[in-house]
Amino acid sequence: MVCSTNNPAQRRYLIRFAVCMTIYIVLLLVSVLALKHFQPTGVPAYALAVLPALPIIASLIVMGIYLAEEKDEFMRNLQVQALLGGTGVTLSVVSVWGFLEKFVHAQHFDLFMVYPLFWVATGLTAAVLWMRVRS
Amino acid sequence: MKNRLRVLRAEREWSQADLAVRLEVSRQSVNAIETGKFDPSLPLAFKLARLFGLAIEDIFTDEQ
Repeated sequence: MVCSTNNPAQRRYLIRFAVCMTIYIVLLLVSVLALKHFQPTGVPAYALAVLPALPIIASLIVMGIYLAEEKDEFMRNLQVQALLGGTGVTLSVVSVWGFLEKFVHAQHFDLFMVYPLFWVATGLTAAVLWMRVRS
Repeated sequence: MKNRLRVLRAEREWSQADLAVRLEVSRQSVNAIETGKFDPSLPLAFKLARLFGLAIEDIFTDEQ
């Protein structure tokens, strides 16, 4: 995210995002340990497997809330462009990788890695946009 | 879109940060508008016009 000081919407977003990521780490540990220790089957196994994805979904909703709350239209515009760039890069990478896996047996790319890939791509897009604006 | 923000700001001895506070936006937003890298929405353009006591077309110039 492109941050400026004294922006209440950005401050709230960062706090909410940090909360989501903290819950994610806790739930991931709970899931991994519970699945390993208790080796559940059926619905409990599915529930434990899905558990870490919930704060990830929440973090995307938190981004939506930020965009709704951001009163600075320039910053909002920059963030939307960064998200679009990140989405485009992510879809391109996973599409290319999918065909590589299918046709030339490239190493498997775990789907849960799409989320961090998206944020890295969004962050890089934001950095490029920011440099263009500042130059 | 070209604009006279830098001149209008200088006449009042306002920094970009001063103008940003008055507009309730970030300094980066003021800089982006001033350098023509970002065109403000109509509500923000009206806010700027009210602040300087001018009409929108006295601040922004249509290049066409």
